[in-house]
Amino acid sequence: MTALWDFLTVFTQPQLLLLVGLGTFAGVYVGAIPGLSVTMAVSILISFTFSWDVYPAISLMIGIYMGGVYGGSRTAILLNIPGAPSAIATALDGYPLAKRGEAGQAIGVTTVMSFIGGFVGIGVLALAAPLVSDFALRFQPRDYMLLAVLGILLVGSLSQGSLVKGIFAGALGIAIGAVGRDPLTFTERFTFDLQIMTGGVSFIAVMIGMFGVSEALLQLHHVDKDAVRQKITRIVPSLSTVRKHLPLSLQTSTIGVVIGALPGTGGDIAALMAYDHAKRVTKNPERAFGDGAMEGLVAPETANNAAVGGAFIPMMTLGIPGDAVTAIMIGALFIHGLNPGPMLMIDQPDMFWFIVGALVTANIFMLIFGLTGIRLFTKIVEMPRSVLIPLIMLLSIVGAYAVNNSLTDVYWMLGFGVFGYFMRHYGYPLGPVILGVILSRLLDDNWRRAIISEREDFWRFMGGVVSSPLSLTLLIAVILIFVSQTPLWSRGKARLFRKKES
Amino acid sequence: MDQIDPDHHDGTSDATPGGVEAKRRPGELGFAIFLLLASLGLLWSAYGISGFEALSAPGTVPMATTAVMVVTALIVVVKTARLPRISGETFSRDILPVVVLVFAAFLVAFGVALEPLGFLPTAALFLIAAIKILARRSWLWTLAVSLCSLALIWLIFRIVFTVLMPAGIVPEAEFIQFFRNLFSGAGE
Repeated sequence: MTALWDFLTVFTQPQLLLLVGLGTFAGVYVGAIPGLSVTMAVSILISFTFSWDVYPAISLMIGIYMGGVYGGSRTAILLNIPGAPSAIATALDGYPLAKRGEAGQAIGVTTVMSFIGGFVGIGVLALAAPLVSDFALRFQPRDYMLLAVLGILLVGSLSQGSLVKGIFAGALGIAIGAVGRDPLTFTERFTFDLQIMTGGVSFIAVMIGMFGVSEALLQLHHVDKDAVRQKITRIVPSLSTVRKHLPLSLQTSTIGVVIGALPGTGGDIAALMAYDHAKRVTKNPERAFGDGAMEGLVAPETANNAAVGGAFIPMMTLGIPGDAVTAIMIGALFIHGLNPGPMLMIDQPDMFWFIVGALVTANIFMLIFGLTGIRLFTKIVEMPRSVLIPLIMLLSIVGAYAVNNSLTDVYWMLGFGVFGYFMRHYGYPLGPVILGVILSRLLDDNWRRAIISEREDFWRFMGGVVSSPLSLTLLIAVILIFVSQTPLWSRGKARLFRKKES
Repeated sequence: MDQIDPDHHDGTSDATPGGVEAKRRPGELGFAIFLLLASLGLLWSAYGISGFEALSAPGTVPMATTAVMVVTALIVVVKTARLPRISGETFSRDILPVVVLVFAAFLVAFGVALEPLGFLPTAALFLIAAIKILARRSWLWTLAVSLCSLALIWLIFRIVFTVLMPAGIVPEAEFIQFFRNLFSGAGE
């Protein structure tokens, strides 16, 4: 009963309702405007809302997250420029539809499908999280450690980039997170005897630099790209269209939730995998994929919104972020003195049900804003990049400065901005860096706790891992990721398939 | 999975990081070597924390992670060195054009000027210069757009989020107090 009451918190407090609505509205535009991303917006917002209470701050962030994941689809359809990473797959079939003059219908279908996907994700979150957190109480320190490693590896292995670069990025993040005084022994780590380094590197500066400044610098390459105007007609889709794609949308929502719930991987990867899945299962599409197939819109849009709910599962139950945005939200909860993990679910279940309630509200707002206000939308999206880029840079500086009122953070942010700019050019993923920074402390603490409880004996530690089914599964998963990237794997696979054929 | 390349091979997300598959972009090898050297430096620094004292020592995880960095950076260097150079891209046009350098310099200048000059004048100068360079429109348009957006940002952050920025040479507090007095005076 109290759970229901907590769930309804958002609806009973007009201020929170307003903030979720405002966040969703802003999120749709943040997601839609190329060059502004949800990760960027949420990381800048942390520094502005840290003097607020937890509920209003989280309300605003959840609204932006939900709206932003959806908003990217609009510019993907209208301009062939994905407004957000999670909409990259949407552009493949969305833009061909717009060129045929069916932009309105495409937007309508993506809105309804995002709504359905969003609800599947939230439903799974509400059902699964309490079970997972009960289970998580049995987790040993070594399991947390292995999970953190797994999360950092997954991004590199499921994306199109190279795993080696992903591992490098993750390790770099862990090293950045270790800078400063070790909390257990007060030994200085990576401080190079500099006074300013002993407090560590502010993770907000790292985030804003990597996702704000580096993105703004990259956008300088595309200042002169013009927006293309599209005519938009009727957007509310017919019931028969929705019903026709319902089976596929449920399948791709499931993909979305699972990918979202895996530590580290979020909506962008979920959308690409769902698009791949749709291509495989749709036998006779009305139009070919890449040429305006409705299935090619349904799949990524349901998956990326379902991944939102999924991403909250490991964040709320284990304190391990489901993707880059939830990594930043964990940071926000830290700032507000909360410690996400199984104990949070037990000590403050109200927080969990409040977040579920806020997600539901944001999803409803998303449907409303998605099906209305299209005229205003086309105006705002045409905002020239020549104005947008300087504004992003200004906001990044204000954001980095505001957290600690320190210029050092601004310089850290600029440094990571330039570094992130080169990383992007050369194909190093940025997500693992942020995951590493956030998980560094958890990894370090749990490793030391685990090895001390085994009396500093590495082989006893390994014995513990092998004898526990959970730890063993995690270890095998980590090893599999490594093996799957070596030539051994593809050779083995080729041999296996040859045997079957002969 | 299909290779999807949205914009100019610059990574827009983790799902599709930038770079060009099976080709070496200008400066890529240099960056990889820089990462390798930096990783070696960090590994040395991590060794200095507590050496091989104990498995639970404060330096163990840093040493393990920096060792991973060295190994992966080395693999990347070797792999990158073997790739053929991409044709048709130059460092100064595709990777680091002048405009990016100019803006990086602007940002550093922003940081330097922020405390002595104060937030409002620094931000105004930055926006005017940046928008003028990027948009190449008339001075009137540039001034109007940059000052209006600055006013909007300042109102939102100072009033709604109550973020404090260095006031510098502008008597910001007195200014706000003046308006407060005005409104409270009107309310009485």
